[in-house]
Amino acid sequence: MQRAAHFALYDWTHILSSSTARQCLKCRAPLQLSSRGYSVLPPPRDSEEKAMLDRILRVDHAGEYGANRIYAGQMAVLGRSQIGPLIQDMWDQEKKHLGKFNEILAENRVRPTALLPLWNIAGYLLGASTALLGKEGAMACTVAVEESISEHYNSQIRALMEKDPDRYIELLKVIKEFRDDEMEHHDTGLEHDAETVPGYWLLKNVIQLGCKAAIYASERV
Amino acid sequence: MAALLRGLRVGGTLRRFGSVVAAPTPTNPRCCNSLKCGFHRAAVRLQDDSKSDKPSSSSSTTYHEHYQAHSADQDAAAASSGAAASEPAAEEASRPNTSYQDQSGEHGEEYETEEQLQARILTAALEFVPQHGWSMEAIAAGAETLGLSSASTGMFYNGAGDLVLHFIAQCNSQLTDILAEQHNQVQLGQAEPKETAEFLRDAVETRLRMYIPYVETWPQAMSILLLPHNIPDSLKHLSTLVDDIWYYAGDRSTDMNWYTKRAALTGIFNTTELVMVQDSSPDFQDTWNFLDNRIQDVVNMASTAKQVQSTGEAVVQGLMGAALKNLTGANQRR
Repeated sequence: MQRAAHFALYDWTHILSSSTARQCLKCRAPLQLSSRGYSVLPPPRDSEEKAMLDRILRVDHAGEYGANRIYAGQMAVLGRSQIGPLIQDMWDQEKKHLGKFNEILAENRVRPTALLPLWNIAGYLLGASTALLGKEGAMACTVAVEESISEHYNSQIRALMEKDPDRYIELLKVIKEFRDDEMEHHDTGLEHDAETVPGYWLLKNVIQLGCKAAIYASERV
Repeated sequence: MAALLRGLRVGGTLRRFGSVVAAPTPTNPRCCNSLKCGFHRAAVRLQDDSKSDKPSSSSSTTYHEHYQAHSADQDAAAASSGAAASEPAAEEASRPNTSYQDQSGEHGEEYETEEQLQARILTAALEFVPQHGWSMEAIAAGAETLGLSSASTGMFYNGAGDLVLHFIAQCNSQLTDILAEQHNQVQLGQAEPKETAEFLRDAVETRLRMYIPYVETWPQAMSILLLPHNIPDSLKHLSTLVDDIWYYAGDRSTDMNWYTKRAALTGIFNTTELVMVQDSSPDFQDTWNFLDNRIQDVVNMASTAKQVQSTGEAVVQGLMGAALKNLTGANQRR
Protein backbone atom coordinates (compact mmCIF):
# COMPACT_ATOMS: atom_id res chain seq x y z
CA MET A 1 0.00 0.00 0.00
CA GLN A 2 2.74 2.37 1.00
CA ARG A 3 4.97 1.28 -1.84
CA ALA A 4 2.23 2.08 -4.29
CA ALA A 5 2.01 5.61 -2.96
CA HIS A 6 5.77 5.78 -3.00
CA PHE A 7 5.86 4.78 -6.67
CA ALA A 8 3.04 7.12 -7.58
CA LEU A 9 4.56 10.03 -5.71
CA TYR A 10 8.03 9.37 -6.98
CA ASP A 11 6.98 9.34 -10.58
CA TRP A 12 4.58 12.18 -10.05
CA THR A 13 7.21 14.41 -8.54
CA HIS A 14 9.55 13.38 -11.28
CA ILE A 15 7.03 14.38 -13.91
CA LEU A 16 6.24 17.64 -12.19
CA SER A 17 9.83 18.53 -11.66
CA SER A 18 10.79 17.31 -15.08
CA SER A 19 8.44 19.76 -16.70
CA THR A 20 9.88 22.70 -14.81
CA ALA A 21 13.17 22.22 -13.06
CA ARG A 22 14.86 19.88 -15.46
CA GLN A 23 14.10 22.05 -18.44
CA CYS A 24 15.88 24.86 -16.67
CA LEU A 25 18.73 22.57 -15.68
CA LYS A 26 19.19 21.36 -19.20
CA CYS A 27 19.20 24.73 -20.88
CA ARG A 28 21.20 26.70 -18.36
CA ALA A 29 24.85 27.42 -18.96
CA PRO A 30 27.12 26.15 -16.20
CA LEU A 31 28.21 28.79 -13.75
CA GLN A 32 31.74 27.47 -13.78
CA LEU A 33 33.87 28.73 -16.63
CA SER A 34 34.23 26.05 -19.24
CA SER A 35 35.83 26.38 -22.62
CA ARG A 36 33.56 23.74 -24.06
CA GLY A 37 30.13 24.62 -25.35
CA TYR A 38 28.90 21.08 -24.96
CA SER A 39 28.77 18.62 -22.15
CA VAL A 40 30.46 15.25 -22.06
CA LEU A 41 27.21 13.66 -20.95
CA PRO A 42 23.93 13.74 -22.83
CA PRO A 43 21.05 15.27 -20.86
CA PRO A 44 19.54 12.30 -19.04
CA ARG A 45 16.34 10.89 -20.48
CA ASP A 46 14.95 9.72 -17.17
CA SER A 47 15.96 9.18 -13.60
CA GLU A 48 17.22 5.65 -14.26
CA GLU A 49 19.71 6.85 -16.80
CA LYS A 50 20.74 9.68 -14.49
CA ALA A 51 21.29 7.18 -11.69
CA MET A 52 23.39 4.96 -13.93
CA LEU A 53 25.52 7.84 -15.20
CA ASP A 54 25.87 9.17 -11.67
CA ARG A 55 27.15 5.82 -10.49
CA ILE A 56 29.67 5.56 -13.29
CA LEU A 57 31.00 9.07 -12.74
CA ARG A 58 31.04 8.78 -8.98
CA VAL A 59 33.17 5.66 -8.97
CA ASP A 60 35.50 6.98 -11.69
CA HIS A 61 35.99 10.19 -9.75
CA ALA A 62 36.71 8.21 -6.59
CA GLY A 63 39.16 6.03 -8.51
CA GLU A 64 41.14 8.94 -9.87
CA TYR A 65 41.11 10.60 -6.47
CA GLY A 66 42.48 7.44 -4.89
CA ALA A 67 45.13 7.02 -7.60
CA ASN A 68 46.17 10.61 -6.99
CA ARG A 69 46.67 9.93 -3.29
CA ILE A 70 48.56 6.70 -3.98
CA TYR A 71 51.06 8.52 -6.13
CA ALA A 72 51.28 11.27 -3.52
CA GLY A 73 52.18 8.64 -0.94
CA GLN A 74 54.77 7.11 -3.22
CA MET A 75 56.31 10.50 -3.92
CA ALA A 76 56.51 11.27 -0.22
CA VAL A 77 58.81 8.30 0.25
CA LEU A 78 60.56 7.95 -3.09
CA GLY A 79 60.26 11.52 -4.32
CA ARG A 80 63.94 12.21 -4.02
CA SER A 81 65.16 8.91 -5.34
CA GLN A 82 66.00 8.03 -8.91
CA ILE A 83 62.50 6.85 -9.66
CA GLY A 84 61.08 10.18 -8.41
CA PRO A 85 60.66 11.93 -11.80
CA LEU A 86 58.91 8.91 -13.29
CA ILE A 87 56.42 8.73 -10.46
CA GLN A 88 55.95 12.47 -10.71
CA ASP A 89 55.05 12.13 -14.40
CA MET A 90 52.51 9.46 -13.71
CA TRP A 91 51.12 11.53 -10.86
CA ASP A 92 50.69 14.54 -13.13
CA GLN A 93 48.69 12.48 -15.56
CA GLU A 94 46.44 11.29 -12.74
CA LYS A 95 45.97 14.91 -11.65
CA LYS A 96 44.79 15.71 -15.13
CA HIS A 97 42.30 12.85 -15.01
CA LEU A 98 41.01 14.00 -11.65
CA GLY A 99 40.59 17.54 -12.91
CA LYS A 100 38.56 16.29 -15.85
CA PHE A 101 36.27 14.25 -13.61
CA ASN A 102 35.85 17.16 -11.21
CA GLU A 103 34.66 19.22 -14.14
CA ILE A 104 32.21 16.58 -15.31
CA LEU A 105 30.83 16.01 -11.82
CA ALA A 106 30.30 19.71 -11.23
CA GLU A 107 28.58 20.26 -14.57
CA ASN A 108 26.23 17.36 -14.19
CA ARG A 109 25.41 17.78 -10.51
CA VAL A 110 26.70 14.36 -9.59
CA ARG A 111 27.11 13.62 -5.92
CA PRO A 112 30.70 12.65 -5.06
CA THR A 113 31.15 9.58 -2.93
CA ALA A 114 30.97 10.14 0.80
CA LEU A 115 33.95 7.85 1.27
CA LEU A 116 36.41 10.35 -0.18
CA PRO A 117 38.16 11.02 3.16
CA LEU A 118 38.62 7.27 3.54
CA TRP A 119 40.16 6.95 0.09
CA ASN A 120 42.31 9.96 0.88
CA ILE A 121 43.96 8.28 3.84
CA ALA A 122 43.90 4.74 2.48
CA GLY A 123 45.42 5.76 -0.84
CA TYR A 124 48.20 7.74 0.79
CA LEU A 125 49.00 4.91 3.19
CA LEU A 126 49.00 2.36 0.40
CA GLY A 127 51.33 4.46 -1.73
CA ALA A 128 53.67 5.23 1.14
CA SER A 129 53.81 1.71 2.52
CA THR A 130 54.48 0.06 -0.81
CA ALA A 131 57.12 2.69 -1.55
CA LEU A 132 58.84 1.73 1.71
CA LEU A 133 59.40 -1.66 0.11
CA GLY A 134 61.57 0.14 -2.35
CA LYS A 135 61.23 1.12 -5.94
CA GLU A 136 60.07 -2.38 -6.91
CA GLY A 137 57.34 -2.25 -4.29
CA ALA A 138 56.07 1.06 -5.58
CA MET A 139 56.05 -0.26 -9.12
CA ALA A 140 54.23 -3.41 -8.03
CA CYS A 141 51.56 -1.27 -6.37
CA THR A 142 51.26 0.79 -9.54
CA VAL A 143 50.89 -2.35 -11.66
CA ALA A 144 48.19 -3.78 -9.40
CA VAL A 145 46.18 -0.58 -9.12
CA GLU A 146 46.42 0.32 -12.79
CA GLU A 147 45.39 -3.16 -13.79
CA SER A 148 42.33 -2.90 -11.56
CA ILE A 149 41.42 0.49 -12.90
CA SER A 150 41.88 -0.55 -16.52
CA GLU A 151 39.68 -3.58 -16.01
CA HIS A 152 37.09 -1.36 -14.38
CA TYR A 153 37.14 1.18 -17.20
CA ASN A 154 36.88 -1.63 -19.71
CA SER A 155 33.76 -2.99 -18.10
CA GLN A 156 32.24 0.49 -18.05
CA ILE A 157 33.07 0.92 -21.73
CA ARG A 158 31.44 -2.44 -22.44
CA ALA A 159 28.32 -1.47 -20.51
CA LEU A 160 27.97 1.88 -22.27
CA MET A 161 28.62 0.34 -25.68
CA GLU A 162 25.95 -2.26 -25.00
CA LYS A 163 23.43 0.40 -24.07
CA ASP A 164 23.91 3.01 -26.76
CA PRO A 165 27.33 3.83 -28.20
CA ASP A 166 26.12 6.85 -30.13
CA ARG A 167 24.45 8.51 -27.22
CA TYR A 168 27.46 8.20 -24.94
CA ILE A 169 30.10 8.82 -27.54
CA GLU A 170 31.72 11.72 -25.70
CA LEU A 171 31.82 9.91 -22.40
CA LEU A 172 33.20 6.82 -24.08
CA LYS A 173 35.95 8.90 -25.64
CA VAL A 174 36.95 10.24 -22.26
CA ILE A 175 36.92 6.84 -20.57
CA LYS A 176 38.85 5.21 -23.41
CA GLU A 177 41.51 7.90 -23.28
CA PHE A 178 41.90 7.48 -19.56
CA ARG A 179 41.93 3.71 -19.86
CA ASP A 180 44.78 3.95 -22.34
CA ASP A 181 46.73 6.18 -19.96
CA GLU A 182 46.25 3.73 -17.13
CA MET A 183 47.41 0.84 -19.31
CA GLU A 184 50.50 2.86 -20.10
CA HIS A 185 51.20 3.30 -16.39
CA HIS A 186 50.69 -0.42 -15.90
CA ASP A 187 53.23 -1.22 -18.61
CA THR A 188 55.67 1.33 -17.21
CA GLY A 189 55.41 -0.36 -13.84
CA LEU A 190 56.17 -3.74 -15.37
CA GLU A 191 59.15 -2.31 -17.24
CA HIS A 192 60.64 -1.04 -14.01
CA ASP A 193 60.97 -4.40 -12.27
CA ALA A 194 57.63 -4.54 -10.52
CA GLU A 195 57.67 -8.33 -10.60
CA THR A 196 60.95 -8.63 -8.75
CA VAL A 197 59.52 -7.51 -5.42
CA PRO A 198 59.33 -10.39 -2.94
CA GLY A 199 55.76 -11.52 -2.48
CA TYR A 200 54.67 -9.94 -5.74
CA TRP A 201 51.76 -12.32 -6.28
CA LEU A 202 50.43 -11.78 -2.77
CA LEU A 203 50.89 -8.04 -2.84
CA LYS A 204 49.25 -7.69 -6.23
CA ASN A 205 46.21 -9.76 -5.28
CA VAL A 206 45.70 -8.05 -1.94
CA ILE A 207 45.83 -4.63 -3.58
CA GLN A 208 43.47 -5.69 -6.34
CA LEU A 209 41.01 -7.09 -3.83
CA GLY A 210 41.13 -3.78 -2.00
CA CYS A 211 40.51 -1.93 -5.26
CA LYS A 212 37.50 -4.10 -6.05
CA ALA A 213 36.05 -3.41 -2.60
CA ALA A 214 36.68 0.32 -3.04
CA ILE A 215 34.95 0.33 -6.43
CA TYR A 216 31.97 -1.57 -5.03
CA ALA A 217 31.63 0.82 -2.10
CA SER A 218 32.07 4.02 -4.11
CA GLU A 219 29.37 3.04 -6.55
CA ARG A 220 26.86 2.84 -3.78
CA VAL A 221 27.76 5.23 -1.00
CA MET B 1 -2.36 0.08 11.28
CA ALA B 2 -4.65 3.06 10.88
CA ALA B 3 -3.64 3.22 7.25
CA LEU B 4 -4.56 -0.45 6.83
CA LEU B 5 -7.99 0.06 8.34
CA ARG B 6 -8.49 3.13 6.26
CA GLY B 7 -7.50 1.16 3.18
CA LEU B 8 -10.00 -1.58 3.96
CA ARG B 9 -12.73 0.95 4.58
CA VAL B 10 -11.94 2.72 1.34
CA GLY B 11 -11.83 -0.54 -0.56
CA GLY B 12 -15.27 -1.37 0.74
CA THR B 13 -16.53 2.08 -0.22
CA LEU B 14 -15.18 1.67 -3.72
CA ARG B 15 -16.84 -1.70 -4.20
CA ARG B 16 -20.17 -0.28 -3.14
CA PHE B 17 -19.58 2.71 -5.37
CA GLY B 18 -18.84 0.38 -8.25
CA SER B 19 -22.01 -1.63 -7.81
CA VAL B 20 -24.14 1.51 -7.50
CA VAL B 21 -22.69 3.15 -10.60
CA ALA B 22 -22.68 0.01 -12.70
CA ALA B 23 -26.36 -0.70 -12.17
CA PRO B 24 -27.87 2.04 -14.40
CA THR B 25 -25.58 1.57 -17.43
CA PRO B 26 -24.57 -2.01 -17.98
CA THR B 27 -23.41 -1.50 -21.57
CA ASN B 28 -19.87 -1.17 -22.73
CA PRO B 29 -18.63 2.16 -21.42
CA ARG B 30 -16.21 2.95 -24.18
CA CYS B 31 -17.64 6.38 -24.44
CA CYS B 32 -16.04 9.48 -23.25
CA ASN B 33 -13.09 11.62 -22.40
CA SER B 34 -14.16 13.24 -19.20
CA LEU B 35 -12.78 12.18 -15.87
CA LYS B 36 -16.16 11.15 -14.56
CA CYS B 37 -16.39 8.60 -17.29
CA GLY B 38 -12.93 7.44 -16.42
CA PHE B 39 -14.02 6.82 -12.88
CA HIS B 40 -17.22 5.27 -14.10
CA ARG B 41 -15.36 2.86 -16.35
CA ALA B 42 -12.96 1.98 -13.63
CA ALA B 43 -15.82 1.46 -11.25
CA VAL B 44 -17.53 -0.84 -13.72
CA ARG B 45 -14.31 -2.80 -14.03
CA LEU B 46 -14.24 -2.91 -10.28
CA GLN B 47 -17.60 -4.57 -10.28
CA ASP B 48 -16.51 -6.99 -12.98
CA ASP B 49 -13.45 -7.68 -10.93
CA SER B 50 -15.44 -8.36 -7.82
CA LYS B 51 -17.70 -10.67 -9.80
CA SER B 52 -14.81 -12.49 -11.36
CA ASP B 53 -13.09 -12.63 -8.00
CA LYS B 54 -15.54 -15.19 -6.80
CA PRO B 55 -14.84 -18.04 -9.26
CA SER B 56 -11.08 -17.94 -8.87
CA SER B 57 -8.36 -15.49 -8.03
CA SER B 58 -6.45 -16.47 -11.13
CA SER B 59 -9.15 -15.05 -13.38
CA SER B 60 -8.63 -11.56 -12.02
CA THR B 61 -4.90 -11.92 -12.59
CA THR B 62 -5.38 -12.90 -16.19
CA TYR B 63 -7.88 -10.06 -16.54
CA HIS B 64 -5.22 -7.67 -15.28
CA GLU B 65 -2.60 -9.22 -17.51
CA HIS B 66 -4.95 -8.97 -20.46
CA TYR B 67 -5.33 -5.26 -19.82
CA GLN B 68 -1.60 -4.85 -19.46
CA ALA B 69 -0.99 -6.61 -22.76
CA HIS B 70 -3.78 -4.59 -24.29
CA SER B 71 -2.31 -1.32 -23.14
CA ALA B 72 1.11 -2.38 -24.31
CA ASP B 73 -0.19 -2.42 -27.86
CA GLN B 74 -1.60 1.04 -27.63
CA ASP B 75 0.29 4.16 -28.37
CA ALA B 76 1.08 5.41 -24.93
CA ALA B 77 3.79 7.91 -25.69
CA ALA B 78 2.61 10.64 -23.40
CA ALA B 79 1.52 8.27 -20.74
CA SER B 80 4.44 5.86 -20.83
CA SER B 81 6.04 7.26 -17.72
CA GLY B 82 2.69 7.18 -16.01
CA ALA B 83 2.20 3.59 -17.09
CA ALA B 84 5.53 2.62 -15.60
CA ALA B 85 4.41 4.06 -12.32
CA SER B 86 0.90 2.77 -12.25
CA GLU B 87 1.82 -0.76 -13.30
CA PRO B 88 3.80 -1.38 -10.15
CA ALA B 89 1.12 0.63 -8.36
CA ALA B 90 -1.54 -1.56 -9.90
CA GLU B 91 0.36 -4.75 -9.12
CA GLU B 92 0.84 -3.52 -5.61
CA ALA B 93 -2.83 -2.80 -5.09
CA SER B 94 -3.95 -5.71 -7.27
CA ARG B 95 -7.60 -6.38 -7.00
CA PRO B 96 -9.67 -3.34 -6.01
CA ASN B 97 -7.79 -0.56 -7.78
CA THR B 98 -7.01 -1.57 -11.31
CA SER B 99 -4.84 0.87 -13.13
CA TYR B 100 -6.71 3.71 -14.75
CA GLN B 101 -3.62 4.10 -16.85
CA ASP B 102 -4.49 0.99 -18.84
CA GLN B 103 -7.29 2.80 -20.55
CA SER B 104 -5.29 5.83 -21.53
CA GLY B 105 -4.12 4.32 -24.77
CA GLU B 106 -7.62 3.93 -26.03
CA HIS B 107 -8.14 7.67 -26.15
CA GLY B 108 -4.62 8.94 -26.82
CA GLU B 109 -3.22 12.01 -25.17
CA GLU B 110 -6.48 13.70 -24.20
CA TYR B 111 -6.93 11.25 -21.36
CA GLU B 112 -5.26 12.42 -18.20
CA THR B 113 -2.90 10.10 -16.39
CA GLU B 114 -3.65 9.04 -12.87
CA GLU B 115 -0.71 11.04 -11.59
CA GLN B 116 -1.93 14.21 -13.26
CA LEU B 117 -5.39 13.65 -11.85
CA GLN B 118 -4.01 13.12 -8.38
CA ALA B 119 -1.94 16.26 -8.73
CA ARG B 120 -4.99 18.28 -9.73
CA ILE B 121 -7.03 16.97 -6.83
CA LEU B 122 -4.28 17.68 -4.34
CA THR B 123 -3.71 21.17 -5.67
CA ALA B 124 -7.41 21.85 -5.36
CA ALA B 125 -7.37 20.41 -1.86
CA LEU B 126 -4.77 22.91 -0.71
CA GLU B 127 -7.29 25.70 -0.44
CA PHE B 128 -9.27 23.69 2.08
CA VAL B 129 -6.30 23.04 4.31
CA PRO B 130 -6.78 26.10 6.53
CA GLN B 131 -10.29 24.83 7.15
CA HIS B 132 -9.84 21.06 7.46
CA GLY B 133 -6.15 20.75 8.21
CA TRP B 134 -3.89 18.36 6.33
CA SER B 135 -6.35 15.50 6.12
CA MET B 136 -8.56 13.38 3.94
CA GLU B 137 -11.39 15.88 4.46
CA ALA B 138 -9.37 18.53 2.66
CA ILE B 139 -8.64 16.11 -0.19
CA ALA B 140 -12.33 15.17 -0.40
CA ALA B 141 -13.30 18.85 -0.50
CA GLY B 142 -10.71 19.43 -3.23
CA ALA B 143 -12.04 16.52 -5.26
CA GLU B 144 -15.53 17.92 -4.96
CA THR B 145 -14.50 21.31 -6.37
CA LEU B 146 -13.23 19.45 -9.43
CA GLY B 147 -16.62 17.82 -9.83
CA LEU B 148 -15.48 14.42 -8.60
CA SER B 149 -17.03 12.36 -5.88
CA SER B 150 -15.41 12.57 -2.47
CA ALA B 151 -14.91 8.80 -2.69
CA SER B 152 -12.08 9.52 -5.09
CA THR B 153 -9.95 10.06 -1.99
CA GLY B 154 -9.55 6.29 -2.15
CA MET B 155 -6.86 6.91 -4.74
CA PHE B 156 -4.61 8.33 -2.06
CA TYR B 157 -3.17 5.45 -0.11
CA ASN B 158 -1.13 7.74 2.01
CA GLY B 159 -3.92 10.20 2.77
CA ALA B 160 -2.73 13.39 4.38
CA GLY B 161 0.85 12.39 3.64
CA ASP B 162 0.12 12.56 -0.07
CA LEU B 163 -1.25 16.07 0.34
CA VAL B 164 1.71 17.35 2.34
CA LEU B 165 4.29 15.75 0.05
CA HIS B 166 2.52 17.16 -2.99
CA PHE B 167 2.61 20.62 -1.46
CA ILE B 168 6.29 20.30 -0.59
CA ALA B 169 7.15 19.15 -4.11
CA GLN B 170 5.14 22.00 -5.56
CA CYS B 171 6.97 24.53 -3.37
CA ASN B 172 10.32 23.05 -4.35
CA SER B 173 9.63 23.29 -8.04
CA GLN B 174 8.35 26.86 -7.64
CA LEU B 175 11.57 27.73 -5.87
CA THR B 176 13.65 26.08 -8.57
CA ASP B 177 11.80 28.11 -11.19
CA ILE B 178 12.49 31.33 -9.30
CA LEU B 179 16.16 30.48 -8.85
CA ALA B 180 16.55 29.51 -12.49
CA GLU B 181 14.92 32.76 -13.55
CA GLN B 182 17.28 34.75 -11.33
CA HIS B 183 20.19 32.80 -12.73
CA ASN B 184 19.13 33.60 -16.27
CA GLN B 185 18.87 37.25 -15.40
CA VAL B 186 22.41 37.21 -14.06
CA GLN B 187 23.63 35.41 -17.19
CA LEU B 188 21.97 38.03 -19.36
CA GLY B 189 23.60 40.74 -17.30
CA GLN B 190 20.30 42.17 -16.17
CA ALA B 191 20.99 41.53 -12.52
CA GLU B 192 23.99 41.51 -10.25
CA PRO B 193 25.14 38.16 -8.91
CA LYS B 194 24.48 37.90 -5.22
CA GLU B 195 26.98 36.92 -2.59
CA THR B 196 26.62 33.40 -1.30
CA ALA B 197 25.31 34.31 2.14
CA GLU B 198 22.77 36.74 0.71
CA PHE B 199 21.74 34.24 -1.95
CA LEU B 200 21.16 31.51 0.61
CA ARG B 201 19.25 33.86 2.82
CA ASP B 202 16.97 34.98 0.02
CA ALA B 203 16.41 31.46 -1.24
CA VAL B 204 15.48 30.10 2.18
CA GLU B 205 13.26 33.08 2.90
CA THR B 206 11.46 32.73 -0.44
CA ARG B 207 10.91 29.06 0.21
CA LEU B 208 9.65 29.52 3.74
CA ARG B 209 7.33 32.31 2.72
CA MET B 210 5.43 29.74 0.68
CA TYR B 211 4.33 28.25 3.98
CA ILE B 212 2.78 31.48 5.24
CA PRO B 213 -0.79 30.76 4.06
CA TYR B 214 -0.66 27.43 5.90
CA VAL B 215 1.40 28.39 8.89
CA GLU B 216 -1.41 27.73 11.35
CA THR B 217 -1.63 24.09 10.32
CA TRP B 218 2.06 23.67 9.49
CA PRO B 219 2.94 21.87 12.75
CA GLN B 220 0.44 19.20 11.76
CA ALA B 221 2.07 18.93 8.37
CA MET B 222 5.51 18.64 9.93
CA SER B 223 4.35 15.85 12.18
CA ILE B 224 2.85 14.03 9.19
CA LEU B 225 6.19 14.31 7.42
CA LEU B 226 7.87 12.71 10.40
CA LEU B 227 5.76 9.58 10.22
CA PRO B 228 8.04 6.64 9.46
CA HIS B 229 6.47 5.82 6.09
CA ASN B 230 6.80 9.43 4.99
CA ILE B 231 10.36 9.96 6.10
CA PRO B 232 12.09 8.62 2.94
CA ASP B 233 10.00 10.87 0.71
CA SER B 234 10.32 13.95 2.88
CA LEU B 235 14.08 13.45 3.13
CA LYS B 236 14.27 13.11 -0.61
CA HIS B 237 12.40 16.39 -1.10
CA LEU B 238 14.58 18.11 1.47
CA SER B 239 17.79 16.90 -0.13
CA THR B 240 16.61 17.96 -3.60
CA LEU B 241 15.71 21.38 -2.22
CA VAL B 242 19.07 21.89 -0.56
CA ASP B 243 20.97 20.59 -3.57
CA ASP B 244 19.09 22.97 -5.86
CA ILE B 245 19.71 25.97 -3.63
CA TRP B 246 23.42 25.25 -3.40
CA TYR B 247 23.69 24.59 -7.12
CA TYR B 248 22.18 27.96 -7.98
CA ALA B 249 24.30 29.57 -5.28
CA GLY B 250 27.25 28.47 -7.39
CA ASP B 251 28.53 25.49 -5.45
CA ARG B 252 30.51 23.20 -7.72
CA SER B 253 32.45 21.29 -5.11
CA THR B 254 33.26 17.63 -5.65
CA ASP B 255 34.74 16.70 -2.31
CA MET B 256 33.57 16.58 1.29
CA ASN B 257 32.48 20.20 0.99
CA TRP B 258 29.56 18.93 -1.04
CA TYR B 259 28.31 17.13 2.03
CA THR B 260 29.18 19.71 4.67
CA LYS B 261 27.55 22.55 2.76
CA ARG B 262 24.35 20.64 2.24
CA ALA B 263 24.28 19.46 5.83
CA ALA B 264 24.72 23.04 7.04
CA LEU B 265 21.95 24.36 4.82
CA THR B 266 19.63 21.53 5.89
CA GLY B 267 20.23 22.48 9.50
CA ILE B 268 19.56 26.13 8.77
CA PHE B 269 16.39 25.38 6.86
CA ASN B 270 14.93 23.01 9.43
CA THR B 271 15.63 25.22 12.42
CA THR B 272 14.28 28.30 10.67
CA GLU B 273 11.14 26.36 9.76
CA LEU B 274 10.68 25.46 13.42
CA VAL B 275 11.14 29.08 14.48
CA MET B 276 8.63 30.15 11.86
CA VAL B 277 5.78 28.01 13.13
CA GLN B 278 5.87 29.65 16.52
CA ASP B 279 6.72 33.14 15.37
CA SER B 280 4.11 35.80 16.04
CA SER B 281 6.05 38.90 15.02
CA PRO B 282 4.75 41.06 12.17
CA ASP B 283 5.64 39.52 8.81
CA PHE B 284 7.74 36.91 10.63
CA GLN B 285 10.51 39.39 11.17
CA ASP B 286 11.91 37.33 14.06
CA THR B 287 12.22 34.33 11.76
CA TRP B 288 14.19 36.26 9.15
CA ASN B 289 16.45 37.65 11.87
CA PHE B 290 17.04 34.12 13.12
CA LEU B 291 17.83 33.04 9.58
CA ASP B 292 20.30 35.88 9.18
CA ASN B 293 22.07 34.89 12.36
CA ARG B 294 22.29 31.22 11.43
CA ILE B 295 23.70 31.97 8.02
CA GLN B 296 26.18 34.34 9.59
CA ASP B 297 27.20 31.53 11.96
CA VAL B 298 27.88 29.21 9.07
CA VAL B 299 29.85 31.84 7.21
CA ASN B 300 31.93 32.51 10.34
CA MET B 301 32.55 28.83 10.82
CA ALA B 302 33.70 28.47 7.24
CA SER B 303 36.13 31.35 7.48
CA THR B 304 37.41 30.09 10.84
CA ALA B 305 38.02 26.70 9.29
CA LYS B 306 39.97 28.33 6.49
CA GLN B 307 42.07 30.26 8.98
CA VAL B 308 42.78 27.13 10.99
CA GLN B 309 43.82 25.35 7.86
CA SER B 310 46.22 28.08 6.74
CA THR B 311 47.68 28.34 10.24
CA GLY B 312 48.17 24.61 10.26
CA GLU B 313 49.91 24.74 6.93
CA ALA B 314 52.21 27.47 8.19
CA VAL B 315 53.08 25.40 11.25
CA VAL B 316 53.81 22.36 9.11
CA GLN B 317 55.94 24.48 6.85
CA GLY B 318 57.86 25.64 9.85
CA LEU B 319 58.39 22.13 11.12
CA MET B 320 59.33 20.72 7.74
CA GLY B 321 61.23 23.84 6.83
CA ALA B 322 64.57 23.84 5.15
CA ALA B 323 66.46 24.49 8.40
CA LEU B 324 65.21 21.35 10.07
CA LYS B 325 65.66 19.25 6.96
CA ASN B 326 69.22 20.40 6.48
CA LEU B 327 70.06 19.77 10.12
CA THR B 328 68.73 16.25 10.12
CA GLY B 329 70.12 15.44 6.70
CA ALA B 330 66.76 14.66 5.19
CA ASN B 331 67.57 16.74 2.15
CA GLN B 332 70.14 14.47 0.60
CA ARG B 333 69.45 12.58 -2.54
CA ARG B 334 69.48 8.84 -1.91
